[in-house]
Amino acid sequence: MIRIMLIMPVMMLIVFGYVVGSDIRNLKLAVLDSDHSPQSQRVVDAFVHSGYFVLAGEPDSETALKKMMDGGKAVIALEIPKGFSDAIREKRPTQIGIVIDGSDSRSSGQANGYAGGIINDLNSEFYPRPSATQAGGVNAQVRVLYNPTMRNINTMVPALLAFILLMSTSNVMSQAIVRERERGTLEQLFVTPIGRTDYLLGKLLPYVGIAAIQVVIVFVIGILWFQVPFHGSLIVIASGLMLFMLSALGIGMLVSLISTNRQQAQQTSQLMQMPQMMLSGFMFPVEAFPTWLYYLTYLIPLRYILVIVRSNFMKGSSFSELWFQFVAMGAFSVGIFFLGLSRFHKRLAD
Amino acid sequence: MRFPWSKSTQVAEQPTDDSLAIDVRGLRKTFGDFAAVDSISFTVKRGEIFGFLGPNGSGKSTTIRMLCGTIAPTSGGASVMGYDIDAQAEQVRLNIGYMSQKFSLFEDLTVDENLRFYAGVYGLTDEKFRERRTYILRMADLEGREGELTKNLSVGWKQRLALGCATIHEPKLIFLDEPTSGVDPNARRQFWELLYDLASQGVTLFVTTHYMDEATHCNRLAFIYRGTIIAQGTPQEIKSELAADTIVQLEVADGESALAALGEHPLVTEAYMQGALVNANVGEHSADEAALPAFLAERGFDVTHAEIVEPTLEDAFVHLVGLQGGRA
Repeated sequence: MIRIMLIMPVMMLIVFGYVVGSDIRNLKLAVLDSDHSPQSQRVVDAFVHSGYFVLAGEPDSETALKKMMDGGKAVIALEIPKGFSDAIREKRPTQIGIVIDGSDSRSSGQANGYAGGIINDLNSEFYPRPSATQAGGVNAQVRVLYNPTMRNINTMVPALLAFILLMSTSNVMSQAIVRERERGTLEQLFVTPIGRTDYLLGKLLPYVGIAAIQVVIVFVIGILWFQVPFHGSLIVIASGLMLFMLSALGIGMLVSLISTNRQQAQQTSQLMQMPQMMLSGFMFPVEAFPTWLYYLTYLIPLRYILVIVRSNFMKGSSFSELWFQFVAMGAFSVGIFFLGLSRFHKRLAD
Repeated sequence: MRFPWSKSTQVAEQPTDDSLAIDVRGLRKTFGDFAAVDSISFTVKRGEIFGFLGPNGSGKSTTIRMLCGTIAPTSGGASVMGYDIDAQAEQVRLNIGYMSQKFSLFEDLTVDENLRFYAGVYGLTDEKFRERRTYILRMADLEGREGELTKNLSVGWKQRLALGCATIHEPKLIFLDEPTSGVDPNARRQFWELLYDLASQGVTLFVTTHYMDEATHCNRLAFIYRGTIIAQGTPQEIKSELAADTIVQLEVADGESALAALGEHPLVTEAYMQGALVNANVGEHSADEAALPAFLAERGFDVTHAEIVEPTLEDAFVHLVGLQGGRA
């Protein structure tokens, strides 16, 4: 208990000090530069030096660019057309295409704002003499992919699928096991011919079933009532969620092992859920985090499933674009699940 | 009576004896640096009611858990109903029943559902289940309450239902860990009648208890203290340890202070509370020699009554613990 009381304020400090209210930084930027001029390079530098963007890649075609955005490797892209530098030299108006990934409405809104500001600054640099007509200058042509209206609900509903799964399975499962320990039925069952794996399976399956129903409810209401568009595939979503559930169940088992009563299990679960909720990208975009914290988020399985469900919902991303998330999350899930299982086998209820 | 002071008693291999329900050889369990059970050895014959006694934290439950196969011993071994607890844990589990002081029932299931669940766990056939169900409901005096939620039952009923669930597969050996704790005297007596009943059918019972009056119901006893068995034998044998000693029981107003005063008496080897009374062991000396009432009166205590009492099991255990240099 004392541990929880000490860790809690530190967590709060990190979350509220670093995450809440801080600017979203390090947005992944792709540049499709068809002009290859000092001016076009100047545009890229201006974006990168602003601190809001990091250069994630320079695709050589529209197709390659689309692929990067589908796979979440870039959330914003600049398309600098051929003849960009000529237009500036000749003081003719020109344009830059800005493509924004709208699937995360929180970061896409900010990205859009930053990009507009930077281009305004560049305008006064490229066209120093105040131009009399509106026609002069660089014009930003913004296109929002996947979630053109940038509705928040479209970002939240897919994430809720994963979060509800985490809440109900890990929480309820640890509660259920600890309750049996309190009652003594856990110990009683261990002296029967029932194996521990049999016991766990019997204990797990009903909750897995209930969790599946919860997920379906959120899915159906999200689509029918909240009108969240679904461009993805049920197979990708379902297999991602199932893989993720393993980690939630593993966490539930681990919590049940270190808790002697239900109250303690409840608090431990909360303690484990808070960083997941705050740092996974569920509430705040991970791009808003300082670099060290950003890398820490790679340790949170929820982070991967959020990318999977959001991208699949809005972009229809498939296994080939999400393979990294699947592999990383799969490794965590299988690891945590079997860690929980093996510890569970070794330890008896006190 | 045997005192296994030396820790290595009977560690040597022993052939499995068919007449033994439990054969423990040098069983040891450590948690970190702490030896919860320190190389104990004992045997329980088939058909016996074996009492396993000791204060809280002395290693009783740890021993039972090792024998039931729920925790692994650090070293040493044991066979239970002829099966090795380590190598044949599955066989052990099939052949034993276990009832803990928590009664281990599913409180939000009905009486019938609890029975059905445990019958399922042990893989009873439908026919067998019906037969056992009828028997257990009658035994536990629960006929007509099959549909009641277990949490609504009184403690005595819960206790008997727990015994029923633990014995639904008709094991020949039952471990009972403090089965009567928190149960009223009447229900305790009723419960012991059930245990006698089981024993008369040839079932071996391994019982831990706090209650010394219950210990006298056992055929044989072992007393565990700080992880070591400090005495074992029949209740009579254990009491005979004090056969040569004289126990004086004193009724005195301020018992706790009187205890301290008695500690300075040259002939008193042990003094302890027995309920509200003070028991003092004066060893092989006579009560007259010790003259305890006069000794206490001199120090301002008001002794209202004094008599010589027959040593009880409790006296014997206080004595044995005293020999270990500790207090019970």
